[in-house]
Amino acid sequence: MSGPSKNTTPKASVRRRPGLFRTAWRFGRTKVGVALTALIVLIAVLGPFVAPYTPTEFVAKPYETGVDGALFGGDNLGRDVLTRFMWGGWTLLLLAGSAAAVGVAAGTVVGIIAGYRRGWVDDVLMRTNDVLLAFPQLIAALLVMSIIGPKVWLIVAVIAVSHMPRVARVIREATRKVIEQDYVKAAEAIGLPRWRIMTVEILPNVTSPLLVELGLRLTYSIGVVAVLGFLGMGLQPPTADWGLMINENRQGMAVQPWAVALPVTAIAVLTVGANLITDGLSRAAIGIDRGVEK
Amino acid sequence: MPALPEDSTPAAKRFTSRRSLLKASAAGAAVAPVLAACGSDSESGGSSSNEPQYGGRLKVGIAGGGANDTLDAHNPTDNVDIARNYALYTSLMHFANDGTLEPYLAESMEPNDDATEWTVVLREGLLFHDDSPVTAEAVLFSLERILDPENPMRGAGDLEGVDLEKTEIVDDRTLVIRTGEPFVTLPEALAEYYNCVVPVGYDPENPIGSGPFKYSEFKVGEYSVFERHEGYHVEGQPYVDELEIVDFPEDDARVNALSSGTVHVISQVPHAQVAIIEGDPNVNILESETGMWLPFTMNVEKEPFDDVRVRQAFRLIVDRQEMIDQALAGYGQIGNDMYARMDPSYPEDFDQREQDIDEAKRLLAEAGHEDGLEVELVTSDINAGVVAAAEVFQEQAREAGVTVNLRRVNPSDYWSPEEGFPYAFGQDFWSARNYITQTAQGSIVGAPYNETMWGEHEEWLGYLEEARQTADEDERNELIRKAQKIEYEEGGYIVWGFVNLLDAYAASVHGLEPSVSGHPLGSYAFHTMWKEQS
Amino acid sequence: MTRLIVVRLLFGALTLWAVSLVVFAATQALPGDAAQLILGRDATPERLEALRDQLNLHEPVAVQYMQWLQGILQGDLGNSFSNGLPVAEYLRSSVQSSLALMGLAALVATPVSLFIGAFSALRRDRSFDHASSMGTLVVASIPEFVVGILLILALGPGGLGLFPSVYAREGGPEQWILPVLTLALAVAPPIVRMMRATMIEVLESEYVQQARLKGVSERTVLWRHAAPNAIGPVAQVIALQLAWLAGGVVAIEFLFNFPGVGKDLMDAIENRDVPLIQAVVLLIAGIYILVNLIADVIGLAANPKVRVANR
Repeated sequence: MSGPSKNTTPKASVRRRPGLFRTAWRFGRTKVGVALTALIVLIAVLGPFVAPYTPTEFVAKPYETGVDGALFGGDNLGRDVLTRFMWGGWTLLLLAGSAAAVGVAAGTVVGIIAGYRRGWVDDVLMRTNDVLLAFPQLIAALLVMSIIGPKVWLIVAVIAVSHMPRVARVIREATRKVIEQDYVKAAEAIGLPRWRIMTVEILPNVTSPLLVELGLRLTYSIGVVAVLGFLGMGLQPPTADWGLMINENRQGMAVQPWAVALPVTAIAVLTVGANLITDGLSRAAIGIDRGVEK
Repeated sequence: MPALPEDSTPAAKRFTSRRSLLKASAAGAAVAPVLAACGSDSESGGSSSNEPQYGGRLKVGIAGGGANDTLDAHNPTDNVDIARNYALYTSLMHFANDGTLEPYLAESMEPNDDATEWTVVLREGLLFHDDSPVTAEAVLFSLERILDPENPMRGAGDLEGVDLEKTEIVDDRTLVIRTGEPFVTLPEALAEYYNCVVPVGYDPENPIGSGPFKYSEFKVGEYSVFERHEGYHVEGQPYVDELEIVDFPEDDARVNALSSGTVHVISQVPHAQVAIIEGDPNVNILESETGMWLPFTMNVEKEPFDDVRVRQAFRLIVDRQEMIDQALAGYGQIGNDMYARMDPSYPEDFDQREQDIDEAKRLLAEAGHEDGLEVELVTSDINAGVVAAAEVFQEQAREAGVTVNLRRVNPSDYWSPEEGFPYAFGQDFWSARNYITQTAQGSIVGAPYNETMWGEHEEWLGYLEEARQTADEDERNELIRKAQKIEYEEGGYIVWGFVNLLDAYAASVHGLEPSVSGHPLGSYAFHTMWKEQS
Repeated sequence: MTRLIVVRLLFGALTLWAVSLVVFAATQALPGDAAQLILGRDATPERLEALRDQLNLHEPVAVQYMQWLQGILQGDLGNSFSNGLPVAEYLRSSVQSSLALMGLAALVATPVSLFIGAFSALRRDRSFDHASSMGTLVVASIPEFVVGILLILALGPGGLGLFPSVYAREGGPEQWILPVLTLALAVAPPIVRMMRATMIEVLESEYVQQARLKGVSERTVLWRHAAPNAIGPVAQVIALQLAWLAGGVVAIEFLFNFPGVGKDLMDAIENRDVPLIQAVVLLIAGIYILVNLIADVIGLAANPKVRVANR
């Protein structure tokens, strides 16, 4: 169900609204955002290939600094901090990316259906939405993790589900504006099936808010994945993962700050970068700046 | 990591400091550093440190504590409970700092030939906190309270076999304890802090004992205050007028409190904080080698560990020094797959087992795993260093072609059959016990934590049974060593090391000595501590 | 208006009920039943049976749920598995601490953000406005626990050593500074933005223009005419931020070892203390729903257009 919309979204957006990215690029902050994000993505993607050690090899005493061959010293077990830092990013990106993609896809489907069908479908979907919204995201994630246990698919699922109602609300509003347009009415008049109207006529015309939503949800997903790792409810040892690294090494923060400072800085830079891009996109799309919704 | 409110599940009460050592640091180093620590003590204290000074209020921060806090003499669970127990109460026997048994309230404790009858003679002039005398009647009352079938206390398991019906009071100071079966480990059981002596009619609401300090104030989950007991049986002790024990479940907070002078002594310094304390000239580290061990447990009844060659191979996979260095930050002693390190029978002469990947591979190949082996290791944050050890083992096993998958379980669920305990391959932590007592807890059939299922080994069991009925110590140790040899060759434990404990104290405090018990602060020996008086 | 509010209230109650259903269902999915969890290793079949009877575990799940719900409505949240204390008693002091922490954070964040927002509006498109816009964007992007750690690294024991990084029962008031600051930073950006946006709108409104034309001094225009009109929508955002705080406080309490409900939740999760998990989740969700409701009502009250046009 989420497949088609996920696949058609980027293509359609590029074809139909070539101006969005270009408009966004005009803002200086978008460029900064792209640069910051690219830097972290580069570290995360290339890191494993250039890291000096394996992520589980012992190169120092626990929390030791100033070791030859280990620029940032050892972590809580004496593994190379730099290596684990370089290995620990792609998991975060992958989890956050999938969670945002799945959540936005699901939210888009729900939003378009609710906006287009109206009536009881709309009511049921939106009231369910409201109930989902009543759960603080992190608390919901913690509740599920504590019961089923920290599993990768679960992390993605929980975050995606928590994104869905928020995305659905925005897309529903956008859809309702779109269906007032003549071309939708025309399509209805010639008897196009509903699913075609929704995928071919409506979806391509809600890509602007969709992209902004994707950016917002991605930023937020990064935060949630990281915080789950930090709370010990995300990926499990001995995985090298930024959130988990912070959890594992925070006790030695006063002695060996690098093991915490590196992942923390990377997460900060990444989220700021992603949010700058989102901000650029939203300025381009709506012409106003949007706050980050918590 | 959040320190847990100590839970009250019986699993938590397993032994000495099961949950209480949770997350607290494992600690220690070799004998030399220990002595060095003592040395620096006298240096920092100058000449004044030689002669104990009296007076003052000693504030001690102990790891643990919470809503479960109790003063009940026979039911302490958490570390802070244990600390208070050592302050308030005393037992008939006592483990000295080197782990040997010595009489304490008892003047002597002698068995008959087959160890079914033990004659206990109390010291003269012993006083409880209310100045009533400590009598044989009080000892019997204490045993009755511990063994009450309606409400068995923590030590009931240790004392199983004591026949209270036949136990008799000879006079005020003499008691003959009779047991159904030979009971060679009775003095050990009666040295446990939770098997201490309380007066007849004891009420935990009014906690009277014969320990070095008497009760003054108690706030659950926060602190407790005690006053010097003038009638304490050790001449001249205790030194301080008042003792305040403060609950400190959080490691960082405890270290901060010591650095800032809020407390004078703290138990259990986490490894990560040692550097901070070492950098502070006003505080010292007390490092104690202990008999505490964090083994890997291989279940001899489950695949692939039902094959003795796999067990032997796994023992050869471990690089013990690396284990100590990485999982315990170097604060530990190498183990030789044998527990009960403080037992006089401990086989110092067995060859030290070392990492031998080639031999391990050969054994695994012989056992049919020439193409590698994949096992699940169940781990849990049941004690500092346990999960770390699992991660180190995972790395070491890679070299031998063994893939170890870690499954992490909640500490409170770790010993639950729902999770699969006893696991094919798991971990555990145990404090120092003598061999026979330990096997009763973890190895023999029917032991409460039979995690290796080792105890059905007939030859081993034969020696053990015989040893349990042999009152003569030398003969007994001979038998134990035969059993140990078998377990050393074929058993299900990988005992890679023993944990050193790290405590810390202000430079103005003296009289702390390391103890092997596994209890912090030399088994909470508050009575030997004193403060420089200005 | 009143009808709308009543409808909202009813819906809030409905939502809370749905949440209770989810929480109960979720905790039913735990491996092992409550009796097993309480007794742990020493669970003999007889003791398990006895305890199951006592806990009504033999009843159908629906009946158990009803009993549980009834208990909650009467303020009986059950007893903690880990220490047997009534959950309500267990949580009392943590709730107070958490509320104090959140209250302080709101007290610090609100006036400062209102000021920055208003000032940005006045200095629209000048350097202060750009700086504050960039600043809020950056701070809003970074997850709050990361902000907290950055503060610790900079100001805590490893950095300048100004403030302690962990809370201790015996510690002084300075240990509140970092957690309060972290939470304040987390809630401030949206308030700043909303204040700025509404102020700009108000300043451009005819009402203010007329006041200016009448020759009222700029200061009076600002404080007498503009600010009061901007406060409605901003109040709604503040309420929303407070609602967010109810959930966001967990990671911050965990980080600073602050003895509030968030830390209780993490401890309860680690101990599998089901009644405590249920209670804290319900509590946080309840506060979240309630404050959101208040925000809704404020929004309705502050913006008459909403009730006429939007719904």
